Amino acid sequence: MDQKYCWNSDEIEQADCPKVGAGDEELLVSKQQRRLEKCGECPRFTSDLKQMHSEDNPLAPLLSDLLSENHRQKSQIQSLVSFLDNKTMEMRFLHELGSVLQSSVDLEEVLSVALTAITAGKGFGMNRAFLLLCDRETDILKGYLGIGPRNMEEACQVWNEIIQNDMDLQTLSQNFRLNKLSSERAKFHDVLEQLTIPLANKDHIVIKALDGRHPIVVQGAFQHPDVPPELARLLGVDTFLLMPLISRNRRIGMIIADNCITNQAITEEDMRSLETFGFPVAFAIERASLYEKLQVELNRVTEVGKKLKEQQELIVRMENMALVGRITSSIAHSVRNPLMIIGGFARAMLKNSSASDPKRTFVESIVAETHQLEGVLDEILNYSDSLYPTRDFWDVNQLIEATLRDTADMLTSLGYATGYSPGQDLPPVYIDFKQLSYCIRTLLQNDINGIGTELSIAISTQKEDDRIIIRIEDRSRHISQAEFNHLLTPFAETRDLGAGLGLALCKTMLEKQGIPFVALADEYSGIHYTITLPTSKEEHV
Amino acid sequence: MSRLLVVDDEANIRLLYAEELKDEGYDVVTAGSSSEAAEKLQSNVFDLAVLDIKLKNESGIDLLQRLVKERHDMPVILCSAFSCYKDDFSAWLADGYVVKSGDLTELKQEIARVLAKKALKAKTAE
Repeated sequence: MDQKYCWNSDEIEQADCPKVGAGDEELLVSKQQRRLEKCGECPRFTSDLKQMHSEDNPLAPLLSDLLSENHRQKSQIQSLVSFLDNKTMEMRFLHELGSVLQSSVDLEEVLSVALTAITAGKGFGMNRAFLLLCDRETDILKGYLGIGPRNMEEACQVWNEIIQNDMDLQTLSQNFRLNKLSSERAKFHDVLEQLTIPLANKDHIVIKALDGRHPIVVQGAFQHPDVPPELARLLGVDTFLLMPLISRNRRIGMIIADNCITNQAITEEDMRSLETFGFPVAFAIERASLYEKLQVELNRVTEVGKKLKEQQELIVRMENMALVGRITSSIAHSVRNPLMIIGGFARAMLKNSSASDPKRTFVESIVAETHQLEGVLDEILNYSDSLYPTRDFWDVNQLIEATLRDTADMLTSLGYATGYSPGQDLPPVYIDFKQLSYCIRTLLQNDINGIGTELSIAISTQKEDDRIIIRIEDRSRHISQAEFNHLLTPFAETRDLGAGLGLALCKTMLEKQGIPFVALADEYSGIHYTITLPTSKEEHV
Repeated sequence: MSRLLVVDDEANIRLLYAEELKDEGYDVVTAGSSSEAAEKLQSNVFDLAVLDIKLKNESGIDLLQRLVKERHDMPVILCSAFSCYKDDFSAWLADGYVVKSGDLTELKQEIARVLAKKALKAKTAE
């Protein structure tokens, strides 16, 4: 072969070849590689091949066939590379999506990620998506969230923003959650309201897709026999995709996606990709929902545990008080009685003896010693009493909550509804816990007969100046102020050990503690109690 | 002369009270238990009762409640070895409280106070 042909030269200059450009310099010294990559498409080679044909060179048809096959294979390889590139991108995206979904147990975040992934250009690039969730209590598939532009103008604006900012999926979904979740929810409120489908409606295309557990691309929606006309009208598109969200055979929800702006076709390939995406999304939604429920239960258990601990502490304190009371009472009786008898008789003897009686000094000594011993006994008993003082600092809200728990069954059985508004951040009050509990319980449970139409008792605590006010508005029991005053006087009329005694006892107890107690009764509106508690020892009268 | 009922399970205390209160000019009847007190109450009218808060196997508080219910015109003074009556709200039904002591001055003053109050109440009622 003549060396004038560049495609047959072992080494050429860059100026000799129109196809070898910058970056391809190694091809200038590699004949074989240059022929495979460049010469087949080079006009010089095509021209030389034509000349060979015209000269009836027998190799010319063979070379033409080889060249043609080479072109076909190169095109096929390029197509495969392009396919692989797309798949790689899709895998990368799914990996990114999976990582983001796996790291979140927040339902709103998971939903934001899912819907952003469907509509983002980097993701599945759908124009619009709606998420519907299964409500197990009502057996309804309910519209929960929508995302996407409503018109071309809005679409252009959103897409431009996305292109300019070039954000990854996590950032996109975070931005959506922070800046757009509420507005998107409001934007699609009307659509979401109408996207309510009973799970029992087996003929509905959405429920069919959900029960069938496979995505469906609905085409010709307005004429489709399984698509209710109202759904087609609501979505306003002829083609949309239904993607069921299934986790461990449980129906979680449905994504309805469409290209309402671009009207781009939804392909089988789109459907398969979205199906792959659906599994982790469904799982993440279920996990986030369960986590949310778990969190609620955990809070409830924590609250109950806290209350239980408070009750235990209270019981321990009360038991300690009771134990100390029993011990001191026992000591008092064992020692006090004989001491009293010795001292008492000694005094009697002293009273009847004459001043000159030589034994008078002995009796005087007995009197003095017993008097001193009584003093010591008082000191010991008072000290043990002060270890667990009758009055101490207590949390008034805790006291009322405990009393309400104790009386709940009784009040419920009578049909009374109780409401409690505890004051926030109240300082502890200086009270006799047992006595105040007894008083509150008595006020709630008294047997006043006049019953009104409204069976309710409202309790509140509130700080006023340095004191804590307990207000009890008993709208259930109706009585005149005069009659009520009788109940506040012990045995004023009957001396019967009934309700009257309880209320009178309350009044006496509170007064003896120096705690102001006001009870205003009205035979039409009920009884209004006000108890004012001190927050310091100094206030105690 | 005012008639007093003294209820205490300790015989020596009953004796001491009886002697001392008689010296003060009271007519004193004693009982060692609730049942004995009930017997004495059936056959006598008393102006006041002095009651130990802790009887042997009985509670003085229970007796107090019965007295308040059945003899509501008879005031009751509770005597206690220790001020534990504070823990039992029913004890609040009594008209007076005294912590036991060999020195009976406080008891005597309390009896005088309660009887004077009763007399005043009776006078007001007339």
